[in-house]
Amino acid sequence: MTGAGAAAPTIVLDRYDEIREALFDASLSRTFDERSYAEGNIRDGVVSVSHGAVHRARRRVENTQFRPDVLRLYERELFPRILTTLLDRLIDAPSVDIFAVGEQLSVVLAARRAGIDVADDDLDQIRELVHYVDVFSQGSAILDARDPDAVRALVYETYETFERGWVRPSWERRVAAIERHERGEIQADDLPHDILTALLRHRDDPQVDLGDTGRVTREVATYLQGGTHTSAQTLVNALDLIFGEGERAAPIVARAAVDLAFAQRVVHETLRLRPTTPRMRRRSVASTTIAGREIPAGTVVVLDVDAANRDPRLFGADPDAFDPDRPVDPSVARWGLSFGAGAHQCPGRSVGGGFPAPPRGDVGDDHLFGLVALEIREICRRGPRPDPDRAPERDLRTERHTRWAHYWVRFDTGAGTP
Amino acid sequence: MVVDVTLDPELCMGSGDCVRIAPAAFHLDDDAGVSRPTPGAATTELDVLREAARSCPTQAISLARDGIVLHASSAGGRPGSAPR
Repeated sequence: MTGAGAAAPTIVLDRYDEIREALFDASLSRTFDERSYAEGNIRDGVVSVSHGAVHRARRRVENTQFRPDVLRLYERELFPRILTTLLDRLIDAPSVDIFAVGEQLSVVLAARRAGIDVADDDLDQIRELVHYVDVFSQGSAILDARDPDAVRALVYETYETFERGWVRPSWERRVAAIERHERGEIQADDLPHDILTALLRHRDDPQVDLGDTGRVTREVATYLQGGTHTSAQTLVNALDLIFGEGERAAPIVARAAVDLAFAQRVVHETLRLRPTTPRMRRRSVASTTIAGREIPAGTVVVLDVDAANRDPRLFGADPDAFDPDRPVDPSVARWGLSFGAGAHQCPGRSVGGGFPAPPRGDVGDDHLFGLVALEIREICRRGPRPDPDRAPERDLRTERHTRWAHYWVRFDTGAGTP
Repeated sequence: MVVDVTLDPELCMGSGDCVRIAPAAFHLDDDAGVSRPTPGAATTELDVLREAARSCPTQAISLARDGIVLHASSAGGRPGSAPR
């Protein structure tokens, strides 16, 4: 489909294979909108909008925090403890906003991974961080914002308070630890396992391009926001899809409560049907060809992930159905293209979604299921059901249909039972 | 016939996907932050190597056999390939 936008011709790609090819094509840039991404913009220099050698150098540094050994530390030790500590405190009323619960659970871990020190059991601190995540999430979706200028002003202001109150103290503690390591007083393994530490250790590398303090703050904010918001939205979307199954919902909840591999498939099926970014956008910086289609330089290319994830050739005859057990060829990710592909694929995909399970589902003891699957299992153990008296509310600040503002849930068991 | 596996360290961004898919064929060089082929690549099944190469986010892996390119890195040709 070809159309004409206000400033540039637009091409929409909606097939899985052509979108995947587009995501690998270096001629298609994420710098879609100069006003949004040029120097001085709210996301200036963050990894998700950087390119080429700088992007690869930054990812080399940051990917060290997404290795299986680090992920295992989070999934097997840190997160179960946080779930145990926080979940029953957060389910504190007969009707609970499960999106807020998901945000507060996820932000603790996202903060740890980003390098922001937060007390695991301090709800005031946790809720302050959630506020920052909400603002940065509006910034990350600015291309779909109803009032981009208001979002831009809010994000600028919030960076300043976030840097002063949270990044700077965490930064100073890490610099002190790195100096101790350089003096031989502690081992590298004793340093914090987080993005901020990794960046500070490589800050002098010109390829990593982090000389500007504000850029470090924006990078840390990106990981805080990405690690929190996507997980919380996926949790809500999973429950919404389960509840939408009517009489089948109760057996699905019961199964997810005891079968972590199934809970992981629930997460993957949710990501397929409800991608965080339903329509990605790129701008061709040079003429290129995608799946035989000529794309002139300067074209806006819309990647309709929503449509591609429902391709019946890849996901079966009923691709719109919520079916966590659907057979999918191992060469195709069960979550479709929701984590992107190519150089800019989501670095946190294994944190939230775990590693793909073997085709027959026989996972080993060291398999990583992802943090959202752990959340789903724990919440399903408490018997969630929709609150008949309070309708869920979508996030109307964005045109993305997969974002929620509030989602009210009652529980059959646990602290929230009336 | 042995498959010749090469990995361009300038293109690699250390995602570790190749190590996860073909652990006998690649390892992570933690100092450099990039993957490297291992001697085990020579005895790894071609389908596994192809999947590792296809999955590489920066298309840094090249596969060749008997002088014939089976999978080109993005440095040696067009990046990306359609899934099966």
